[in-house]
Amino acid sequence: MKNRKKIKVSEIVPFAAFVVLFVFFTIVSKGRMVSAYSLKMLLEQSILTIVTACGVLFVVAQGSIDLSVGVNVAMSGVIGMHIAAVTGVGWLMVPCCMLVGLLIGLLNGFLVSKCHVPSFTLSIAMLIGLRGIVNYIQTIIGIEYVPASMQFITGSACRIIAFVVIALIVAFVFEFTRVGRYSQAIGENETTARFVGVPVSRMKILAFALSGLLAGIGAVFSVATVGGTTMTMGAFLEMKVAMAIFFGGVLVTGGSSARFYKVLLGSLSITVIVYGLSLIGMSDSQISESVEGGLLLVILFITILTNRGKKGWTKDEPEPAARLKNPTE
Amino acid sequence: MAENILEIRGLNKHFGPTHANKNVDFTVKKGEIHGLIGENGSGKSTLLSQIAGLYRRDSGEMFVDGVPYDPANPIDANRHGISMVMQELGVVGNLPAGVNVFLGRTGQFSRFGIVNMRKMRREAQAQFEKWDLDVPPLNQMTDGMMIESRKMIELARALSVDPQLLLLDEVTQSLSLNNRRKLYELIRKFKDMGRSVIVITHDIEEMVEITDTITVLRDGAVIGSVNSQETSPDEIRMMMVGREISGDYYRADMTPTYGENVVLEVSDLTVPHELEEVSFTVHEGEILGFCGLSDSGIHAVGRAVYGLSKPTRGRVFLKANGVELTSPTTALNNNVGYVPKDRDNEALMIRASIRDNFCLPSLTELKGPVGYLRPGKLKKLAADMVDSLSVKCTGIAQTMDALSGGNKQKVNFGRWLAKDLKLLILDCPTRGVDVGVKAYIYSLMNEAKAKGIATILISDELTEVLGMADRLLVMKDGRVTRTISRGEDFTEQTVIGVMI
Repeated sequence: MKNRKKIKVSEIVPFAAFVVLFVFFTIVSKGRMVSAYSLKMLLEQSILTIVTACGVLFVVAQGSIDLSVGVNVAMSGVIGMHIAAVTGVGWLMVPCCMLVGLLIGLLNGFLVSKCHVPSFTLSIAMLIGLRGIVNYIQTIIGIEYVPASMQFITGSACRIIAFVVIALIVAFVFEFTRVGRYSQAIGENETTARFVGVPVSRMKILAFALSGLLAGIGAVFSVATVGGTTMTMGAFLEMKVAMAIFFGGVLVTGGSSARFYKVLLGSLSITVIVYGLSLIGMSDSQISESVEGGLLLVILFITILTNRGKKGWTKDEPEPAARLKNPTE
Repeated sequence: MAENILEIRGLNKHFGPTHANKNVDFTVKKGEIHGLIGENGSGKSTLLSQIAGLYRRDSGEMFVDGVPYDPANPIDANRHGISMVMQELGVVGNLPAGVNVFLGRTGQFSRFGIVNMRKMRREAQAQFEKWDLDVPPLNQMTDGMMIESRKMIELARALSVDPQLLLLDEVTQSLSLNNRRKLYELIRKFKDMGRSVIVITHDIEEMVEITDTITVLRDGAVIGSVNSQETSPDEIRMMMVGREISGDYYRADMTPTYGENVVLEVSDLTVPHELEEVSFTVHEGEILGFCGLSDSGIHAVGRAVYGLSKPTRGRVFLKANGVELTSPTTALNNNVGYVPKDRDNEALMIRASIRDNFCLPSLTELKGPVGYLRPGKLKKLAADMVDSLSVKCTGIAQTMDALSGGNKQKVNFGRWLAKDLKLLILDCPTRGVDVGVKAYIYSLMNEAKAKGIATILISDELTEVLGMADRLLVMKDGRVTRTISRGEDFTEQTVIGVMI
């Protein structure tokens, strides 16, 4: 049986990027990067990005994008915490955050799949609109703190355990069930998926629902980390998530390039950059942001270059337009 | 002055791994009507496309009127007095018919960048009248028109450059009888004027009648040229197919054989603009053929049965499972398979691996507890299929786009055979594959038939349907016009008569 597995260059890029970044900052910070404290910080700082990105992964695999996750985290967090505060039942914050996140996700999914609104435009509209509503709510109810009965979630052990469980579940669903496979198929070619019998619109709603649900869970992590809601909750998180996914080597078109490990690697890589820059004393300067941006550009460029052979058409093949005309007949 | 309007020597053309034209030598005399014939995928259209400047050749020489010729694009070819009417539609749908006639050459009607539409329309009308063709409504957008009118507009466009050499790629098949006659008349006029025409048509009788010389292509190579007066349709057919596979290419028996149980029952199926009250049944182990002209609705039948279009009336009932098929997902979950016509755009994930393409329809069967898809299982299914279908590839992780058309089709067809099917819908299953794979696909169809799978075979190739089907439904304008059983009146002449 011919089953030689060729390792593609494009698959190595995210690994290489992570290793290079890690080694670079270890050297520049004179070894402080590899201390137990630093490693723990790295993981903790990545958690929110990874959890949220886990949901967005399903959407990106289908060739769409969800830019509303940042504001979703804020909305779910604010409402979930408020319900817990008003009712006085502390644990209610967790299911409430998840429920609000899920509802926003379902709305996104419904609009994208049934009303055929492009996901990019839709989620930007959501991002702007919902942010306004969240700000309005927050000016009325103000900042709220994690209820006393729920203080245990602010401990890092609890958060790390919860994170590992969530990551394992998502990894399983994405890599080893039909949900992930069908999402990849939709990203590869939506027409094909529909013609085979993949329930395309149901899968789209599901992907956005998962994205919303995990943003809701992200909201719990967010308040647990800070100890309560803040006015800037989830701000720019959607950009961080998108950056992590594409940094990890997932193509904008999704499909089989979307893999769970890439989300982990991408998220860790960008945390290494942010944390590494702060270690060497560049955290406050504007330089750190421009360095982040520059590095993202470089990685994306390499990813696209190494994928070109796979994505484009080679010279001796007719171009797609000509191919449609069926030249061999 | 040279005696030949066109001379081609040692021309080669590749599309990826496909060698579409192999060392082609081809000559057209002045005042000659030259027929080009061969099976699908034999390279006829590719050859014409290179003459018309749509593709560049890889190697070889071309001479027009004795002068070396290498057109950069179709407009350049027009300047050399060569124009073509393409097989697939080549009009811009949201432009009026009159503009389509002068597409790419509207500059001659413009002053200071403003196009004089009235003048252009007048000129377009003059073209139709000059060649004695019916004038279509020139103000109307072409996408609202019937396929036949659009073909005539393309013809007028080709004629408007006043060509010395006119290339017609399967034009007659989309024309009705009266327009066909007009086209024959036009071809004769060309001959009388000392000009030349190259004609591609699948209708061998028609070809023998209207041409002076016929050149046969097979697998991209020229098999030979014959004088139309001295040949017979049988001789040409033999040249087309070749000796080696004429024996068991199609089914040998001439009687319908199928089980008693009805698998699928379609009644009064109506889809706006596509189907009108179509009813039929398919039995266990039956191959039900569908044939008709391009806009007859045969392809729409496949889509509608698989639930891809929304019928306004009627129903598709899978009697074998007692369910109504309303969506592709219902069909997929009820042991129905569908092989669409457009392999690259509708059937396959071209950038994904062979494994993913093989497994996609079978994921529901492969899943274990809590939906777990064990990677080993997926791998095994794909590897087994690659072996049993002998797909030529470097491994199951290879991406689809590296495969040749025939091997792609093996994946497209074969992946359904991994399932326990009740009904299989095939839309042009041998489109653009070479003769060897073609024969193999027919043998797979016979195997499926023997297993009791009901098959709907939709095809543009009449010989294929006649060769394989137990019963044959002829369609026209979205309606079934006649049902013929195998052995009854199963000839091309009868079917063509009903089709037109």
